[in-house]
Amino acid sequence: MNISLRQLFGRKPKSSSIAKQRLKLVITQDRLDVDDRFMTRLHHELAEVLAKYFEFSVNSVSMSLKQEGNSYVLVADIPYKKFHDVNARQ
Amino acid sequence: MGKVIVVTSGKGGVGKTTSTANLGTALALLGKTVVVVDADVGLRNLDIVMGLESRIVYTSMDVIEKQCELSKALVKDRRVDGLTLLAASQKNNKDDIQPEQMKTICDKLRSEHDFVLIDSPAGIERGFSNASAGADEAIVVTTPDVSAIRDADRIIGLLQHAGIEPINLVLNRFSPELVGNGSMMDQEDVLDILNIDLIGIVPEDTGVITSTNRGIPLVYEDASPGSQAYMRIARRLTGQRIPIPDLEQKGLLTNIVNWFRNR
Repeated sequence: MNISLRQLFGRKPKSSSIAKQRLKLVITQDRLDVDDRFMTRLHHELAEVLAKYFEFSVNSVSMSLKQEGNSYVLVADIPYKKFHDVNARQ
Repeated sequence: MGKVIVVTSGKGGVGKTTSTANLGTALALLGKTVVVVDADVGLRNLDIVMGLESRIVYTSMDVIEKQCELSKALVKDRRVDGLTLLAASQKNNKDDIQPEQMKTICDKLRSEHDFVLIDSPAGIERGFSNASAGADEAIVVTTPDVSAIRDADRIIGLLQHAGIEPINLVLNRFSPELVGNGSMMDQEDVLDILNIDLIGIVPEDTGVITSTNRGIPLVYEDASPGSQAYMRIARRLTGQRIPIPDLEQKGLLTNIVNWFRNR
């Protein structure tokens, strides 16, 4: 919220909030002992499945692990262009 | 029966040795009996930071090898009552000592002192396991930057796994000015990530450089902000309840808003 307001007024986000955001992501992965290749593989395989249903650019997909309280959440952000007509394909 | 506290960080250069020297001296100035132990075998520095480098005769290695009694290896700091140093061997390496042997030394020291502060080497390997083997509690030192905090988190995980508790955080080299303009994470940011208790914030203080040059811990200079911060942490370690002052330099507007709020 803080950041988006600042961006609205054309100011760069503070480097301290960028540091905090980056640290939170990397520490979540460290704590979960996530293999470096795990995320790339998941990203790749998920994209393969999703490509059957959506039209999107693989490079626009961003995925991360977040900690919310005691549980971990996988967040995937996939901007898509349109749905494929799955029924028509079959 | 005293407390054995390991001072550690994961990353090097964040102020473990400076913190050990100052907290050890501060606790002695408060009338406690203290021994500071250098656990950085092969890369010892606590002796030179404290200005005791010319007086080392025996090290923890000699005690382990039964070359001398433990009490004989303790170097007395003549500037304050109740403070001694157990140096690390400079000719050996970390693998020459077993965690069990460090634990035996810590147990003996605990029975004769109020506080045993162990200066841990950087890293998460053998040196760290030796340093933490005999510890009851831990102080994790970090600076407010991404690499130090990430490494601190890793160390905290290892300490928790070893059942060491409490684990207290010292936030070192804090710059009120940089925090004020958003270029440095503040204590809330750091605590939000690390999830342990804060025992003190030490502001960036150039006095640390000159005091290290001279081998006289900063806490002997009453007026410096770093010295005052270390004295407050030492008091908290003795169980006194001392609030952590807000060091952040806020902008004019925030100050005006706070002034109205606090009325």
